[in-house]
Amino acid sequence: MAAPGSGGAGRAENGYGSQRRKGPGALATTYLVIYNVVMTAGWLVIAVGIVRAYLTKGSYHSLYYSIEKPLKFFQTGALLEILHCAFGIVPSSVVLTAFQVMSRVFLTWAVTHSVKEVQNEDSVLLFVVAWTITEIIRYSFYTFSLLNHLPYLIKWARYTLFIVLYPMGVSGELLTIYAALPFVRQAGLYSISLPNKYNFSFDYYTFLILVMISYIPTF
Amino acid sequence: MFRRHKPSVAEHKKDFAVHGAALPGPQNDMRSFFNLSQLVLSAGQLRSPPILRHSKITYFEVEILDAQSKRQICVVDKVPPSFSLLDVKHKFHKTCPQWNPSRIGLRLERNGPYLKDSISIQSLAVSSIITLYFTDLGQQVTWTTVFLTEYSGPLLIYLLFYIRLSSIYAEEESTESFRHPVVHLACLCHCLHYVRHLLETLFVHKISGGHTPLKNMIKGCAFYWGFTSWIAYYVNHPRYTPPSFGNRQVIFAALAFLMCEAGNHFINVALVQQNHSASFPSPTYNPFTWLFTLVSCPNYTYEIGSWISFTVMTQTLPVGIFAFLMAIQMSLWAQKKHRLYVKKYNMGALRKTAMIPFIF
Repeated sequence: MAAPGSGGAGRAENGYGSQRRKGPGALATTYLVIYNVVMTAGWLVIAVGIVRAYLTKGSYHSLYYSIEKPLKFFQTGALLEILHCAFGIVPSSVVLTAFQVMSRVFLTWAVTHSVKEVQNEDSVLLFVVAWTITEIIRYSFYTFSLLNHLPYLIKWARYTLFIVLYPMGVSGELLTIYAALPFVRQAGLYSISLPNKYNFSFDYYTFLILVMISYIPTF
Repeated sequence: MFRRHKPSVAEHKKDFAVHGAALPGPQNDMRSFFNLSQLVLSAGQLRSPPILRHSKITYFEVEILDAQSKRQICVVDKVPPSFSLLDVKHKFHKTCPQWNPSRIGLRLERNGPYLKDSISIQSLAVSSIITLYFTDLGQQVTWTTVFLTEYSGPLLIYLLFYIRLSSIYAEEESTESFRHPVVHLACLCHCLHYVRHLLETLFVHKISGGHTPLKNMIKGCAFYWGFTSWIAYYVNHPRYTPPSFGNRQVIFAALAFLMCEAGNHFINVALVQQNHSASFPSPTYNPFTWLFTLVSCPNYTYEIGSWISFTVMTQTLPVGIFAFLMAIQMSLWAQKKHRLYVKKYNMGALRKTAMIPFIF
């Protein structure tokens, strides 16, 4: 989900304006700067990849294949942010960050990668573009914040563009899951039914529908 | 009053003495009797009054402000120094009856820790006016209510699945008469577990009478009831598969389950008795209490043991998941309690673990 959650910032921004919590140490700050710079670069690669593929192909369909590998790599790399919160070098809640990152990783691997038929859909392009722009802004925001040199443009972009990007991302994600449903049902993907030795059953189709419904309260 | 009249009587006597004993006899006697009676009457009580003079009890005033808006809600006055915070809360409740004492959260600073009910007003007072910040803690319920609801839910829910309500298993297979005996045994064990919990809540545990927000009860009930429904669905399903190793597995697991239930019960009884003594409960002749030598919270150990036995007995993955989650939750509780015990009873040298012997 293209939510502008706080991830790599080293400073707690609260209403009192002053730095209430101790920031991370020098080593942690260096590591976080490197991490955020690498992530910004990665998502820029994905952005450039999309634009190049569009210019080469002449249409905006089926652009997923050109950026499949960097997308998977850098989106999965976001899992490190959960560790950042767990180790306390980032002042965010572990549960919240885990929730956001897992939802992204779920969409990347358990839906788009697993259901190959869905990769041609335009909804995939919709959420990939939304994620790309959001992540570039977000990671550069964190980089600049850590270096205490935040340009107003980035701050404005982060808190304004999400009004467009968040609904765009959510729509792309929901449409992709919806498109994947018939293929999941047909292949019985990731599903197990009774009777079996462990007396357990799981229906991935129903699970995906529940995931779609769960978007409503988190909206 | 005593002092006021005294000089007048003395004056009288002085006048008399000044004028000499010039008055005639009987009139003299009358006068002196009159003076004496006046003296007696004016003396009041014959006992000397206590020398209390100007000592009044210093009453405090407790000003209660809203923690967010800083507006004054009310002032509780005439608070004697012997009052505890709970008494102040009761007085506050009388002026503002919409907040029960249990949901009143008072603290000295706007973002400080909440004050305990047992604190005396005397210890808080810097001057005769004490300012406290109020937060509404929300609807509260007693711990007893929480436990009773949390445990009676699973009891009933499991039975609903056991009797195979037609809306749950709406298949023609559910009318099949044969059910493996382990299904009946599982129902019996599950009910035994929760009946034991309910009876212990009612008759064994001495619950401190504290309260907890309603939200916590909803969360706990959702967890227990949800998981019980999930477990009960699979164990009572028409297509349930009995354990792979057959009767041996079932009997072994059932015995382990009963042992853990008994152990849990005896530990709970021992912990209640411990509240009266000052030292950590020690193992007695009862073999189930011998776990006290290795572990500081054996009730959690036995509880996890019960659930693992139940998993093995039914060979059902959802039960295993439930047991795993319970183990995580209980290990957190056990760690907290272990730290408290080590501090309180000075147990550092004994090298006990919190919940699992030798490991954790």
